[in-house]
Amino acid sequence: MDNMQQQFLEAGTLMLAGMVFVFVFLSMLIIFINTVLAKLAIRFPDPIVKPSSRANKKSKSNSKNHGDISPGVVAAISGAVKRYRAQHGQDK
Amino acid sequence: MDSLTKLWLSTGLANFELGQVVMMLVGCGLLYLAIARNFEPLLLLPMGFGAILTNIPVAGFSEVGGLLHYIYYAGIDTGIFPLIIFMGVGAMTDFGALIANPKTLLLGAAAQFGIFATLFGAIALNYVPGIEFTLKDASAIAIIGGADGPTAIFLASKLAPDLLGAIAVAAYSYMALVPIIQPPIMRALTTEAERKIEMAQLRHVTKIEKIIFPLGVLMMTIFFLPAATPLVGMFCLGNLMREVGVVDRLSSTAQNELINITTIFLGLGVGSKLSAEDFLNVETIGILLLGAVAFSIGTASGVIMAKIMNKFSKDPINPLIGAAGVSAVPMAARVANKLGLEANPHNFLLMHAMGPNVAGVLGSAVAAGVLLALVG
Repeated sequence: MDNMQQQFLEAGTLMLAGMVFVFVFLSMLIIFINTVLAKLAIRFPDPIVKPSSRANKKSKSNSKNHGDISPGVVAAISGAVKRYRAQHGQDK
Repeated sequence: MDSLTKLWLSTGLANFELGQVVMMLVGCGLLYLAIARNFEPLLLLPMGFGAILTNIPVAGFSEVGGLLHYIYYAGIDTGIFPLIIFMGVGAMTDFGALIANPKTLLLGAAAQFGIFATLFGAIALNYVPGIEFTLKDASAIAIIGGADGPTAIFLASKLAPDLLGAIAVAAYSYMALVPIIQPPIMRALTTEAERKIEMAQLRHVTKIEKIIFPLGVLMMTIFFLPAATPLVGMFCLGNLMREVGVVDRLSSTAQNELINITTIFLGLGVGSKLSAEDFLNVETIGILLLGAVAFSIGTASGVIMAKIMNKFSKDPINPLIGAAGVSAVPMAARVANKLGLEANPHNFLLMHAMGPNVAGVLGSAVAAGVLLALVG
């Protein structure tokens, strides 16, 4: 019985130490996110313009490589836009 | 005649023991759960097949010289397979929702109470005749409450290799049962009005935050809990590969081919532990029982913590997302989302629940580290 009590005591200590540690560790992570990461986010925001210019470049190079695809895509998109506008106009 | 007798003695039929037959049926049961019920099939299928292979008489799959013996010792005894899988999980995890709403880390922490409360349960089971769990055994069983397969296998291989088969089966079966175990507990602990709470939209998370986050987590683990660095370190490596955007090939390998290959071997290796002498005893029943208790307590403590936070937070928090704190990514988050939609058809909680969900992964890795440091 003494042995059991001893084990219960150990399990209790482990539970207390474990829960306190998990909470402290993850709370420190919250502080880390709220301070360091938040500052970094303000200091280095995601570039908004760059990706689109890259995308443009890519599409240009694509159109050079596959000159026949690009007009098809353009036609499809402009067709879709026309249809959307027509529908939109009817709705209104 | 002599050679005929010899031939008969080399057949499976002549050598079968009852335990082996029962364990083969257990293996078939796992195959059934995987194939017909779609319960974590990626792992339960190789695991069930491994159980059948390891119980074949004469063939000696799990004895020295047998395939499963080497797979087990090369990958599971050393802890390599669960760690590689953890790297893959890291590469599949998006911490965006967590970084956008860091408070949810507390939910991931609260849900780990399931692990530590189960420790008590495991020790209490020593009152049952035929069961004798040491503190190491109890810790390995309790980690089932972390609802994280690789973590459970990693810890069990270090603390209680004899119980590994039962622990892995319990961990993966209950993870598959999350949509059945969790909802009643979540409904019982929340009111209709609480389930209807809509949460504020998450802010945009920049790329630099996502890159620095795994490095920060690793740094903190190095400083405060080096025992958890194998798990957290591999997880952060996978996550960093995902977020930097310059090693997409590595990231893709980690989250596809590598994790798939490792899963096959991990399943077979765990299956090799499903032998009659290790599995067919009262302790296994105790482990299966404790696993369910661990899951339930984890779910309940997550929901209760979310209710408390909702009282004090200026932004409303739907208590349902607390249940996602028991990792089991992404199943637990989906369950929270489903219950939220039931109460309020405009209530999409999935992204909000992903925060505590991935926090739960970190939380259970930290809890495993604590157990390793204190008991191992």
